[in-house]
Amino acid sequence: MSREPIINSVNFRLHILASLFAALTAVGAFIRLPIPYVPLTLQTFFVILSGALLGPRFGALSQILYLAVGLLGVPIFANGGGPGYVLQPSFGYLLAYPAAAYVIGFILWGWNPSGAPPKLATLRILTANLAGLCLIYLLGVMGLYFNLNFVMGKTTTLAHAVWIGCIVFLPGSVVKVAVATFLVPKMQRVLVMRST
Amino acid sequence: MEEVSLRTAAKLREFAKKVKGKVGDSSAVLFYLIFLKNSLILFFSKYGSKMGFIRDITLGQYHAGHSLLHVLDPRTKLLASLILMVCLLFAERPGSIVLHGTFCLLVWRLSGLPGRLVFGNLKPFLWIVSVTALVHIFTAEGRVLLIVPVFDWSISDQGLANALVYSARLLFLVLFAAFLTLTTPPTELTDGLEKMMSPLKKLRLPVHELALMMTLSLRFIPILIREAERVKNAQLSRGVSLEGPFLQRVRALLPMILPLFVLAMQRSEELAVAMESRAYSGGQGRTSYRELTMTQNDAAAIGLVSLVFVFTVAMG
Repeated sequence: MSREPIINSVNFRLHILASLFAALTAVGAFIRLPIPYVPLTLQTFFVILSGALLGPRFGALSQILYLAVGLLGVPIFANGGGPGYVLQPSFGYLLAYPAAAYVIGFILWGWNPSGAPPKLATLRILTANLAGLCLIYLLGVMGLYFNLNFVMGKTTTLAHAVWIGCIVFLPGSVVKVAVATFLVPKMQRVLVMRST
Repeated sequence: MEEVSLRTAAKLREFAKKVKGKVGDSSAVLFYLIFLKNSLILFFSKYGSKMGFIRDITLGQYHAGHSLLHVLDPRTKLLASLILMVCLLFAERPGSIVLHGTFCLLVWRLSGLPGRLVFGNLKPFLWIVSVTALVHIFTAEGRVLLIVPVFDWSISDQGLANALVYSARLLFLVLFAAFLTLTTPPTELTDGLEKMMSPLKKLRLPVHELALMMTLSLRFIPILIREAERVKNAQLSRGVSLEGPFLQRVRALLPMILPLFVLAMQRSEELAVAMESRAYSGGQGRTSYRELTMTQNDAAAIGLVSLVFVFTVAMG
């Protein structure tokens, strides 16, 4: 088993994988895990994986696809879908997905376009995932703050936005990041096996 | 007796003052409402369906039919919804809200869709709409109509008008989007989008590839949902337990996620092979089974929507 992918069709396969990850992210919103006190869906989990496994460009592309399909009206966001979703307070989190996938992919892949190094240090994966998570929350809370103040037309302090938009969901996200960090190397192996 | 009630009233007033000091203005009310909603989510995630691993979704809400709205070109419908959504941002007076309301009703009559289907789309937006309405009711300056007794919040005529306008705007936005997706199948939508965006090919944007990938992910979603359900059942029948202490539950996730992922990889590989063996080679010179054509109906629809736009901008 070599790491060399099939050169002529690898790009084509990455395109298909990107659409697959868009679909996985969509499905992830509907897979709810029965863990007490933590509303846990697999969504950010697949955002992390798309960046880590497809790299910055295709990871971000897969998340952009997810957004595009949802905005087109297919109900794949947590509360439905459609262009009107731009006005939902949680839209900032969705906007952060492509950026997070890009950052995670970049930390793991660097400038290397053919793939992440085969043996990644766990610490590096963890750092990448946490960076992605921070980005999601940063943009998400900013979106929430902006939405509350300008769309719903009501002034809210930033502290309120941070509390309702971040602190409540933090425990679940930490679990997800831990599981994702553990799974990335395993899934990388699956992916390499398939593409050779 | 009277003394007691007086004392209670005094206590109540004191309590109200204290609460008001804490609650402050309505932004705090908003905060508490959202906090309440999140706590409810947390609460129900504990008691919510343990085996309901996957939430029911109806994908591609397309509702087949032969109405005027169904036969319009997807490009027309996309453009019209875009115009209407921009238009709603200009609607600030009750007059233009009424205009949009009548237009909405007209479109609904033309579409021949069952009302349950159309208005069911509003459900996920109801809480944000009601919060918006509540916030606006209590905050605008104007002639005071009513004062909520304990908390001293006043409701003014301006507040009522604002609440109406802002919540109606949100509702119409959702409704117009719903009409688009209910009368157009997703594949036609991506087709229309590809055609509309095709001038961007000159800017070296891979329009065809993007449209194809959107169609692919649409196709993947129901497949993956079915696979996830199958993996779940297979693992449950092998004795994987979704109950027990926290760490055990987290560990039980792995036998759910990993097989799903491997199956998904298989699917995508099969698809890649199938497309290659049919000599798929990108969008260059590709023809399609259904050709999109514009008719007089489309021109009329665009004209009508532009009229609504002009009136709304004029009325404010």
